[in-house]
Formats: sequence, structure tokens, C-alpha cells
Amino acid sequence: MVMNTDTAQKFVSFEALPAFLAKLAAGATLYAPRRENKAVVYRPWQAGDKVELSLRPTESCKHVVFPRSEELFSFDMGGDPEKPGKAGLTLQEASEPGPAVVFAALSCDARGFLAFDPVYDGCGTGGKAKDTYYLKRREKTTLIVRTCKSSLNTCFCTWVGGSPASSEGADALLTEINGGYLLEAVTDKGASLLASLPAASDEQSAASRAAREQAVQSAPQPPQDMIKAPAALGALFDSAAFWEKQSAHCIYCGACTYLCPTCYCFNITDESNGLKGLRMRSWDNCMSPLFTLETSGHNPRQEKANRLKNRVGHKFSYYPKIHSGRFSCCGCGRCIKSCPSSVDIRKIVLDAIKEAANV
Amino acid sequence: MSIQDDIKAAIAKALQDIPCVIGWGAGPEPLRATPLFMRNAADVENFTAGFLAVNNPALYLPSCKGVKTALVVKGCDARSVGQLVAENLVKRDELYLIGYPCSGVIDVDKVAARLEGKCEPGEVTRLREENEDVILDTPGGEVRLAKKDIAADKCARCRYPNAESADVFIGEKRAPVVDQDEYADLADFEKLSLEERKAFWEKELSRCIRCYACRNACPLCVCRDHCVASSREPHWLTQADGVRDKLFFQLIHATHLAGRCTGCGECERACPVGIPVLTLKRAFSRQVEDMFGYMAGIDVNTTPPLLTFRLEEPEIKEREW
Amino acid sequence: MSVLNTKELRIIGFLCNWCSYGGADTAGVGRFTQPTDLRVVRVPCSGRINPLFILKSLLGGADGVLVSGCHPRDCHYAEGNFYARRRLELLKGFLPVLGIDPRRFEYTWVSASEGQRWQHVVEAFTAQIHGLGPARGWPEAPELEILNAVAR
Repeated sequence: MVMNTDTAQKFVSFEALPAFLAKLAAGATLYAPRRENKAVVYRPWQAGDKVELSLRPTESCKHVVFPRSEELFSFDMGGDPEKPGKAGLTLQEASEPGPAVVFAALSCDARGFLAFDPVYDGCGTGGKAKDTYYLKRREKTTLIVRTCKSSLNTCFCTWVGGSPASSEGADALLTEINGGYLLEAVTDKGASLLASLPAASDEQSAASRAAREQAVQSAPQPPQDMIKAPAALGALFDSAAFWEKQSAHCIYCGACTYLCPTCYCFNITDESNGLKGLRMRSWDNCMSPLFTLETSGHNPRQEKANRLKNRVGHKFSYYPKIHSGRFSCCGCGRCIKSCPSSVDIRKIVLDAIKEAANV
Repeated sequence: MSIQDDIKAAIAKALQDIPCVIGWGAGPEPLRATPLFMRNAADVENFTAGFLAVNNPALYLPSCKGVKTALVVKGCDARSVGQLVAENLVKRDELYLIGYPCSGVIDVDKVAARLEGKCEPGEVTRLREENEDVILDTPGGEVRLAKKDIAADKCARCRYPNAESADVFIGEKRAPVVDQDEYADLADFEKLSLEERKAFWEKELSRCIRCYACRNACPLCVCRDHCVASSREPHWLTQADGVRDKLFFQLIHATHLAGRCTGCGECERACPVGIPVLTLKRAFSRQVEDMFGYMAGIDVNTTPPLLTFRLEEPEIKEREW
Repeated sequence: MSVLNTKELRIIGFLCNWCSYGGADTAGVGRFTQPTDLRVVRVPCSGRINPLFILKSLLGGADGVLVSGCHPRDCHYAEGNFYARRRLELLKGFLPVLGIDPRRFEYTWVSASEGQRWQHVVEAFTAQIHGLGPARGWPEAPELEILNAVAR
């Protein structure tokens, strides 16, 4: 629910920030970016933690809504292990997730959830097959998104419809201005979190507008022909040579998918000990050969070229074709920045557009 | 002609009878190169060696089996190749190695530390090398850094800067940086008590996202697609997001690398969340060196110590009961 | 009941089929009393023991792990224990890196006729582990608690 933003501009000074965070943490699990060794990760915030805002987070905050592993239900076969025929199976639902707030997520992180939403909200089934595990957490999570002050070499949110000051998918937007942060509510959920803060002055609002405009201007210019990407990648589906060349240096680890704010694939396994156990889902990634390995032993994507094709094709062709042109990519660039062998998804898409034009 | 041009000439020559030469080319940003698979003259134009030539090209060898392949190698890369050959995992006569004197490679995390408070490494728009320095263009102006301050840790303890096993060597050989690896990194770690070490690994591993980049970046991890970590039967690991499983994966990697790891450090560099996983392998390497006098990847004719034994082991002091 | 008269600890023993398992049998036949903390896993040969067995046990909550095989030069398969000796020695030296006290793991050689020696090894090792006390566990994903509840 989008509300009138003009009426909901608040200010929190640098000094008052810890108290504001403590307040947020009192009513929910508060996730904030924290420096750990060389990485910046979203962790549950505790009083005294420094929020890392000078470096962009290494990982996305998708695990807040889509945990790396989560219990779906637990089971107890019951009965007597000596008499397997006498089982009395009982199932226990997983406990309800609690409320969560993410403080200072990137705008691309928030837009990432927009790629998740239709998939888990029953698209293609007329809304029948809803993923309640995801939806419950999503409903209970509030995203406070920050305006980026600059762009990195690997940033390309503008290529996929985003912007460093976008509030799309956010509940509130945070912009650093002189002396503190201006916070503006985007949804009612956001507004209720900001209720306790003092209203921003007109100068502060103007400063925030200026900072956002400046951020937008510093963002990279998108290429003209991104709109051609879905068709181009479709046209190259059978071009083995193209994909072998693009994937030659890929080491098919899962770094790109696990850092990606829009990668939503999972695996379901049972973890048991004796007669008790649980069914859980955990992140999975299409770069791994196991992702498509079938019980028969056949693997439709045995070659890494096919797997990389799937990853790029899914984000820039198959997904947009069924989701009104929206790319399943938010342009955060983490897959480029953290790739051990520097695979650049932008280059693959542009090369595909160029290559398809020549076909 | 610069060394760079001489290497390009050697690559072009190799391409006359070898279909592919693996080296490095310009990457997605100024601080990073990317592995480059060269098949024609146009590809060779994109070749770059030197301070940004970080990736270990030996990684790709097991997938090139049966096809003659050429690599441009640093000293540490050549050790990985040597170990693969020693274990008969690749055939030496299917390889052509182009060596050059390596004077160290960049560690982007160290650049990040030097730029702290100024900008992120991802905001550097240009890198120029000037003798022993690099000059970075940043939003706040030029920043000059000494290469030795931002070189990878392994470069400060490099005993083999020249790819000694190369088929052709371009340039003049360099002296080793050190004669003996003192494992000073482990000495620092070992100042911690047992309790502190356990807490250290619990904290560091809690960040692990189980992407297995460490495994896939390791040139000696040759079972990649058939890793025991991915096996359900036997069930070594659960799918849960817990420290115990994450640490256990590292122990799978480290024990499988014992006596084989050449210390190229690609596992640790590949880790997106900066977990110091090389420490585990270095701890094994030091023991292997002390106990068996063996260094992986140096002599292809010596059997790796865990693939052989002696009837009497003078270095193993068994405990009395 | 533990002969040490304290709470029993969890000690895993990996014994080779041909010597040490026989040695333990001999100790049993000879009615040599032993502490009951040890849980024995029989393996074909000490050379079969993957160091990961030991690490998995220690991370999974074992307070101690004991490996016992044929004496060197007596291996049923001629050389399995020679390979094992190298691996196990490296592993023992590695444990402190993880913050695990290396005394929680020992390996030794006991032949099928050495019932008395087996009794001594078990007593000595169990006393050593009781001296160290229960091991501090490694954190597990919270949802897996249900599995641990069964294990205990």
C-alpha cells in the first residue's frame, strides 16, 4: 500500500540512530549490515553493533525472508523400532516466523524480492499454489532501504529498471543528509516504524531530494537495447559455441546464485536420525551439476555451458517472457563483484544481443 | 619488447599447433583480470600478465583432458600443475607451459583496506602500474600504493617465483622472496588458546553461504562434480545452515588436500565472505613438510607422502601405552 | 556402569577386524573389566579409517575417539596400517588448529592375543578423556535440535 510520502518525512541524527535501532530491535529481529572480517553481511543487530554503511553488503538480505535452510515440518515415525509395521506417524508444523526489519538494505536488494513474489504467490496456478513459508516471512518483514551515494563498477541497476534511489519494493527509504538520515515512509508498514521519529524540516527534505537526484545522476547509463535481451537469448538457445565461449572461465560454484537477491531456487531434503527427523528446504543453485541430475542418472545440463545458459537465460529471457518483461535481475552486480573468475553477466547479455543480431 | 609482448609472441607461436592457451585478460573492473581462453590472434591481443594475473589457470586442466593445452603460469600455478602431474591426474605431454618471472599478484581485499574511508575498490576507475607502485584513479583523486603492500599474502612467502617446469620461460628468473616459509601466519593464529581457536572458527564459518567456491577454485579438487559433500549416501553433511556442517565441509576439503596443497590460496581468495580457509590447509602443509620433508608440486617424480609409507617412520613418535 | 564412578562420557572406538577387535574379544573372554564409555565400531582394517570418521565423531559430540589396529608389520592386508599411521599422525597434529585438544584422539596397535593390553588401553584412554571432561559441542542449525534430542 503506497502512501503519500510528503506527509511522512522523518529525521534521525547520527547520534540518535542507536536509540532508533534499539527501538526497532525491541519489536522484531532487526537485521543490519555488519562488517565481519573482509565481508559485510546482514546480521541480527544488537545494542552496540556498528552498522556498516560505507561499504556495500557482500551478500543480499534475501535470507531474512528466504532462509538458507528452514524447517518445513518435523516428523516422528513413532512406534517401536523393533516392529516397523507398528508405526504411528506424527507431523509437527514448523513454528511461525517472527517479525523482522531490515535496516539499510540496498535498493537493489528490495527490488530483488519483487522477482521472488510472483513465483511464490502462485503465479501460473491462478494463485492456488502459494508458498506459505515464503509469504508469511515476507508479510512480516519490513524493509528500510538506503539511497546509494555512488555506483560501483559492477553496478547496473539502471539496466534492469532500477535506480540507486529507488523505493520500489521498500517500506521506507533512508537517505544520508547533513547530520543524519532522512527517512520517508513508502508503505503503512514503513510509516508505523517511523512514527516515533521527529518530522524532517523543509531543508532536510530538500537535502534528501538533492542527494537522491545526485545518486540517480551518478548511476551508469543503461544500454539502449536491453529490451532485445529476451529474444536474443531465446535465439541463441541452441548455439553451443556461444555458450561454451561465455562459460569457459566459469568455475560453476554457487557464489553468484547465493549472493543474488533474485535467485530463489531451493532443494527439499529430509534430515533424520532414527525415527525422528525433519523435512527442510535449503538454497540450491543451477550452476551445480546436481541441480538437474535425474534419478535415472541422466543430466540434461551436464555441461557448465548449459548451466550458465540457464542462469542468464532465466534472468533475462524466460522469466521476463512470463512476467510482463520484468527481468529476474536487480542489477546489484554481486555476481560480478564476487565471482572468483570474474564472469560478467552484463557482458554475456550484451554479447548475446550482438550475436543474435548477426544470426 | 616488453615481457608482455614476448609472452604474447610465445602464445601466438604455441597456438600454431595447440588449440587453446589459457592466460589472463582484462576483467570487469580495473582491479581484476579474468581467465582468458585464447584460440586465435584476436584473443591474444587481450592477454595480460603481471600484477593482476591472480587466477590459477591450472584449475581448468582436468577438464581439458585428452586435448593438448597450453597455460601461461606463475611459479605458484606451475606447482599446482606439478602436483596434478605427480598424481597422474593430467599428463605432462598434453601440456605446454609458458612461464614468466612473477613479482607478485594483487589482493583486492588489501586494496580495500588501504582505501578505507575514501571509497570502495569497486569505485576505482583506472589502475596504472609504475615500477613498484600502482596508481589508482578514485573519485577522490589519485591514490598511489606500493605493490608490496597490496600483494597477496602468499607472495610475501614465495619460494618459487619462476615456473621452473615451464617448457618456455620468458624473461629473466627472479630470486625467491624467501628461502624458507616460516609459516608466520600460523604462528599468529596459534597464539590463540584452544577455546579461542574454536570460537574463531565458529564465528568465521557462521558467515559461510555454502557456495563451495573454495572447492571449485581449488586446482587440486579434481572430483568437483562428484564431491562427497554433495552425497546423500553416505550422508556426511546435512543441508542445514549450521556451523557444524560448514566446518565439516572445510575439513573434507583440508583433509583431502593434506600433502597435496601447494598453497596457491585460491580457496581463500574465492570465498565471497572472506573466511580464512587457507589456514586449515597450511596447517597440514607445515606438518607434511616437517614430518615427510615433502612440498607439493615441486618434484613430479616423488610420490606424495600419503600415497606411500615407510616401515619405520623416524619422524612419527608413537605414544607409549 | 563406568569403573571411574563418574558420569559416562561418549568415546568412539574404531577397531580393525583382525587384531584389535579380536583383542577386545580376548579381553572379554578373559573377563578383564573395562570402563563402559567406549562404543566400538568394527572396520576391516585401520587403513579403512577415513580421518573424516574421527572428525565427524568429534564435531558430532564425541568426547574422545580411539583407533586401534594391528601392530605395524602385522597388518592382515600387509600394509593398511602403514598408510593409517601417516594419516592418523597428521590428523592428531591438526586437531589443535580447530581448538580440539589432541588428547581427545589416540591411535594404537593391539593384537588379537593382547586382551590384557586392550584392557590397559581402554582404561588409560578413558581416564585421559575423563581428565579432559566432556567436549564442548559445535553449534548446529537450530532446526536440527530434534535430531540431537534423539542422539542423546
